[in-house]
Amino acid sequence: MPQFDSHFFSSLIFWELLSFGILLWVLYKYALPPILETLETRERKIRESLDQAEQNRLAAERKLKEYDAKLQVAAKEVETILAEAKQQAQRLLDENEQRLRAESQRIKEETTQDIERERRKAIQDIKTQSAELALMIAEKVIGRSLSDDDHRRYAEEALAAVAAQSKN
Amino acid sequence: MMWVVVGLVAFILLKAGGARALVPSKLQSLAELLVDFIRGIIHDTMGASGMRYFPLISALFLFILFSNLVGLIPGSYTITSQIIVTGVFAVGVYLLSLIVGFQLHGAKFLGILVPPGTPGWLLPLMIPIELISQIARPISLAVRLFANMTAGHVILGVLFGLTIAGGLLIGWLPFSFTIALYGLEVGIAFIQAYIFTVLTCVYIGDAMHLH
Repeated sequence: MPQFDSHFFSSLIFWELLSFGILLWVLYKYALPPILETLETRERKIRESLDQAEQNRLAAERKLKEYDAKLQVAAKEVETILAEAKQQAQRLLDENEQRLRAESQRIKEETTQDIERERRKAIQDIKTQSAELALMIAEKVIGRSLSDDDHRRYAEEALAAVAAQSKN
Repeated sequence: MMWVVVGLVAFILLKAGGARALVPSKLQSLAELLVDFIRGIIHDTMGASGMRYFPLISALFLFILFSNLVGLIPGSYTITSQIIVTGVFAVGVYLLSLIVGFQLHGAKFLGILVPPGTPGWLLPLMIPIELISQIARPISLAVRLFANMTAGHVILGVLFGLTIAGGLLIGWLPFSFTIALYGLEVGIAFIQAYIFTVLTCVYIGDAMHLH
C-alpha cells in the first residue's frame, strides 16, 4: 500500500505540520475570537431578552391584579351609590305622595267648608227674605181697613210679590 | 491538498467571523454551528477550563473534517487516508496530554497508571496493562481514522472498477451501490472527525483532572 511507503513520510509530516500550524494560527488569531464573541453576545442578548420578557410578564400580571382590585372597589362603590340613589328616590317619592295626599285632603276639607258656608248663607237669606215679606204683608194689613175684596186683592199681590221675589 | 483544506476552513471561518451579525447569514450560521459544536464537545469532556485548548481542538476538528470531506470529491486526494498524517496528529495529541498532565500534576501524573482502588499486590500486573493501554491510545487514534478513510475509498474504488468492468449491462448495480456508499462516506467523514476530536478532548481532560 502506498500509505506505508516511508519515502513520502518526511515531506508529508513537514507539510502537515506547516499547514496545520498556519490553520491554527489563522483560527486562533483572526477567525475564532469574533465568532466566539458573536456567539456569546447572542447568548447574552437572548438571556437578557428572556429575562426582560419575564420581568414584563410579571409586571403585567401585577398591573392586572391592581386593575382587578381597583375594578372590584369601583364596582362596590357603584353598588353603594346605586343603593343610596334608590333609597333617596324612594324617600322623595314617599314625601311627595304624603304631601299630595295632605294637599288633596286640605282642599277637600276647604271645599266642604265652603259648601257648608254657602248653604248656611242661602238658608239665612231665605229666612231673612221671608221675614221681610211677612213684615210687608203685615204693614199693608195694619195700614188700612180692609174689605173682603181688599183681603183677597192684597193676598194675591203679596203672593205675586213672593213669586216675583223667588223668581229673582 | 492540505492547502485547499487550510484555505477552505480559513475562508469560511474568516468570512463568518467578519460578519458578526446578530441574526446570522447562512455561512455565518454554518461556522457558528461548527464552533458551537466544538465548544459543546469541550464543555462535555473537559469542562469550562478546557476552553484554553479551544483553538487547537477546533483547528484539529476542522482540519480533519474538511480533509475527509474534500477527499470525497472525485479526483481529489484524502490526506487523512495517510497513516503518517493521522499518526502525527495522534502522537501530537497524546504528547500534548502528557505535557499537560506533567505540567499540572508533576510526578503525581504517573498515578494514571494505577486505577483508583487497586490493591497493592495487583500493581505489578496493573501497571503494565495500563502502560499498554496508554501506548495503544495514539495508535488506535491514528489507525481508526486512517483505516476508516482508506477502507471507504478502497470500497468505492472497487465498486467503480466493477461498474466500468461490468459495462452497461450489469454495471448499474455496483454503480448504485457507490451512490449509497457515498452518502455513508459523508456520514463517516463527520463521525470520524468527531470521534478523533472527542478522544483528543478526553485524553487532555484526563490529564487535567486526575481520578
